[in-house]
Amino acid sequence: MFRDLSHFRITERVRGCLLLAAVSLRRTLASRQTLVCGLLLAFTTLAVVAWSLRHDRDSQEFADDIVFPLYASFLLPMFSLCYAAPSVAGEHEEQTLVYLLATPLPRWMVFAAKYGAALIAAMLWTFGAWAVSSWLAGPAGRNVLVAFLPVVFWSTLVYVGLFCWFSAALPRATIVGLVYVFFVEAFLGNVPGIAKRAAVSFYTQSLMLDAGAELGVRPTGVRDPVLFLPLAGNTAQTIVCTLAVTTFLLGVWWFSRREYV
Amino acid sequence: MSSLAETSDASLIEFAGVSKWFGPVIAVNHVTFQLTRGITGLVGPNGAGKSTLIRLLTGQVRPSIGRVGIGGRSAWSAAAKSRLGYCPDVDAFYEEMSGRAFVRILARLHGLARRSAFQRTEEVLEEVGMADRADRPLSSYSKGMRQRIKLAQALIHDPELIVLDEPLNGVDPVGRMELAALFHRLVARDKAILISSHVLEEMDDLADRILFLCQGRLLASGSPAEVREMLDDHPLKIRVWSPRPRLLAARLLATDSVRGAEIEPGGGLLLNVEHPHNFFRLLEGIVVDEGFEVEAFQVIDASTQAVFNYLMKRGRIV
Repeated sequence: MFRDLSHFRITERVRGCLLLAAVSLRRTLASRQTLVCGLLLAFTTLAVVAWSLRHDRDSQEFADDIVFPLYASFLLPMFSLCYAAPSVAGEHEEQTLVYLLATPLPRWMVFAAKYGAALIAAMLWTFGAWAVSSWLAGPAGRNVLVAFLPVVFWSTLVYVGLFCWFSAALPRATIVGLVYVFFVEAFLGNVPGIAKRAAVSFYTQSLMLDAGAELGVRPTGVRDPVLFLPLAGNTAQTIVCTLAVTTFLLGVWWFSRREYV
Repeated sequence: MSSLAETSDASLIEFAGVSKWFGPVIAVNHVTFQLTRGITGLVGPNGAGKSTLIRLLTGQVRPSIGRVGIGGRSAWSAAAKSRLGYCPDVDAFYEEMSGRAFVRILARLHGLARRSAFQRTEEVLEEVGMADRADRPLSSYSKGMRQRIKLAQALIHDPELIVLDEPLNGVDPVGRMELAALFHRLVARDKAILISSHVLEEMDDLADRILFLCQGRLLASGSPAEVREMLDDHPLKIRVWSPRPRLLAARLLATDSVRGAEIEPGGGLLLNVEHPHNFFRLLEGIVVDEGFEVEAFQVIDASTQAVFNYLMKRGRIV
């Protein structure tokens, strides 16, 4: 009685998934999130320019004044939040998710497409902001520009996975994400003691300290090894990789099971 | 109910003892039916469980108890969705896109290759009467045009089963007739169509079978004629919007179907209709033959609820 519909092969699914990612990327880059990211970048640019007016700055000061407190603890998660939190939740709130869930694309592929779009958009901003701020910082910034690029990549991967999971699992994912960024990443990630290990920014800073060791960036001041207890590079890298995979899989699992009504 | 029961090997949809709870609220209560080709109307007042039943059918939610199958597969599965075209009741789109681009993207997501997607998009836009109007951004469309684009995306992959949630909402009387003709053409091509509505009269000339849902239960089912027999003497309140409400009121009051008319401050014309079936035929004639302009009409919900209460009182519960 029925037509054979096995024609919807894996290649067509992958093609559909890639198309959805491309459409989502185009839409997300044209959204007001891009305006928010632009304002954040403008603010950062002003802060870095003001900071660099003194000419005797070195990479240690750049890391202590700009990279750790502003970039790693605030900008990285904020850029990721801007694009990842609305990935699924935005479609749900705008009631357009129903069209995607009515297609024969498996749910995990729909999530992967939304994740992919958010990741590319977030990467554009995190890498862009890193390049701009380290370039504007002068020799102190350019010295660590390339060394910290892998850290930027891995941290963005974790944050996008985390906020896409929030987006799939929680109502008002953007607000929850904002609270998370300010309380966990910006505040908890920088306080002395063991609690900061709950923040991704702690692992980001540990990786940066490891990558910058040979470039004159050391754990001093509030990041004194006794107080800050940074992890060894390999340990931090393992945790960050695990988090990136785990958060993505949690998002897939949640999105595949949740009823969006 | 018996009219809907077919042999399971011929049924497209199978609801088997399906119940669905949202917390303590039961939205669908032990519903069992099978559907085959033709147009089936799903009718019930707001809150009857129609939307939940459609969400179960389109795999948006899973049953708490029971099984929902499309062609032998779980409705939740991706494979079942290849057979299904869904026109949701929500008025939401990617607003910045044109209608043509929106339909084309959904064609690609349904697995059509680029060239086929382009070709099929033009076919369905032609079919829903939007081929020459589909290049404007969706945000600039009227409600009726938006309904047609939703319909186009539901037809894009030529599914066997088409589920339409309130597809005639906001469509003018002429548009309703055009869409009804389209639904009949689809049935002639061996499609099964499920149309939900809270307006019983919409289904009179449209549906081959009707399912009544009330308070989550399948209250009654049968052909429109059987249902008409139950409801013909039940009055309804209907609100009509027209640029000439006084003239229209005078014309309608001259008939036997309308007992009273009241012009409301917002420009609406509130009618007390004695024989709804006759009234809708009459209104259609007035619009088409006498040139009266009717922008929209709405059956007042409380009255629809009253129809169901009336039906329940008459003891036609299955």
